[in-house]
Amino acid sequence: MRRRLLGALAAALTTMALPAAAHHSFAIYDMSQNIEFEGVVETTKLRNPHMALTLVQTNPDGTKQTINFVEGAPANMIVRMGLKPEDIAPGQTIKAIGAPRRDDPNAYFLKAIILPDGRRFSVIN
Amino acid sequence: MIRLVVTGIAIAMAFATAISIPNLALAQSSGGGTHPDFSGLWFPGGGRSQTPQQAPYTDAAKALLADYEKSFTLDDDPGRYCIWPGMPRAVWGAPFTVEIQQRPQDLTIFWEGYGMYRKIYMADHNPPEPILPSAMGHSVAHWEGDALVVETTSLKPYPYMTRMATSSDAHVVERLHLEQRDVNGQPTKFLVNEVVLTDPKVYKEPIRIMATLQLRPDLQLLEYTCSDTLWDEYLNERGLTLPDMDALPDPEG
Repeated sequence: MRRRLLGALAAALTTMALPAAAHHSFAIYDMSQNIEFEGVVETTKLRNPHMALTLVQTNPDGTKQTINFVEGAPANMIVRMGLKPEDIAPGQTIKAIGAPRRDDPNAYFLKAIILPDGRRFSVIN
Repeated sequence: MIRLVVTGIAIAMAFATAISIPNLALAQSSGGGTHPDFSGLWFPGGGRSQTPQQAPYTDAAKALLADYEKSFTLDDDPGRYCIWPGMPRAVWGAPFTVEIQQRPQDLTIFWEGYGMYRKIYMADHNPPEPILPSAMGHSVAHWEGDALVVETTSLKPYPYMTRMATSSDAHVVERLHLEQRDVNGQPTKFLVNEVVLTDPKVYKEPIRIMATLQLRPDLQLLEYTCSDTLWDEYLNERGLTLPDMDALPDPEG
């Protein structure tokens, strides 16, 4: 049953925003979650088939935490949405929505990027 | 944008009497005749269908599928390792730009996704013989009215059972034609491809797929290098860090 559900999720994802990026099932991520982070971009890999990004978030107690978005939209897809490489260059402050990996809660799928001017680039809602 | 609108209006006016004609032919000189010109930038859109919807596997292929599903998951995807989907899968594939360049002697198709490339030779222009089975195979075409009929053979096996697997015996016939459809009040060109996949070792009957591309001259074909992630993984395994070229200081003066 679980496998069927995962298959259905994969099929749904395939028909949503990521048909080409759906190299794999994305079942490794808990896509039901939408965890919002805000921080400063540390590294960006704007590439295909999946972009990647690390974000340094400052916690309320002043400690810093690096959020590792290991996969996201294909670079070509997200720039066609209007995102410019400089929008997410190291040093830029952004918000990012992530879904954690089931086997590694420190790794996330990058579901959306929100720029300081409010523009939102969603890969999966 | 204004230019696009003006161009659209011009096209609409020029072909006002032709809109009711299903196969809108834009004349191009080719071997003394006039044929539709498929050249341009395209993007998947306009629908896709498949008959039968469930792959009609032969009994032997069903057994292969059962074995495959015992071992392979959806994550075991060749695309993740930059293996081209090839023909016929490329036809309905990824949501990325497709560029077609048409000459009297051949058509060249560039798919942004996976950086795929394909050549279709015209039968009446002395096409070469296939010399090596490949993901895209060897394609030779001829015109039947306004439809380009393309036959593809010499395909290497694609043994991924849940992704429309094919054997070396696979034979693909495509019929491509142009249609003009209304998009937000603008007449817009679509390239309709009716694909028939025949592979008797794998499928009991031919599979028919209709895939459509929409003309999108506003797009550009971007580079799509698929292997960067794999290279990064190799560097990590080796403990290597590449130099940061952009961190070099600007030249003085």
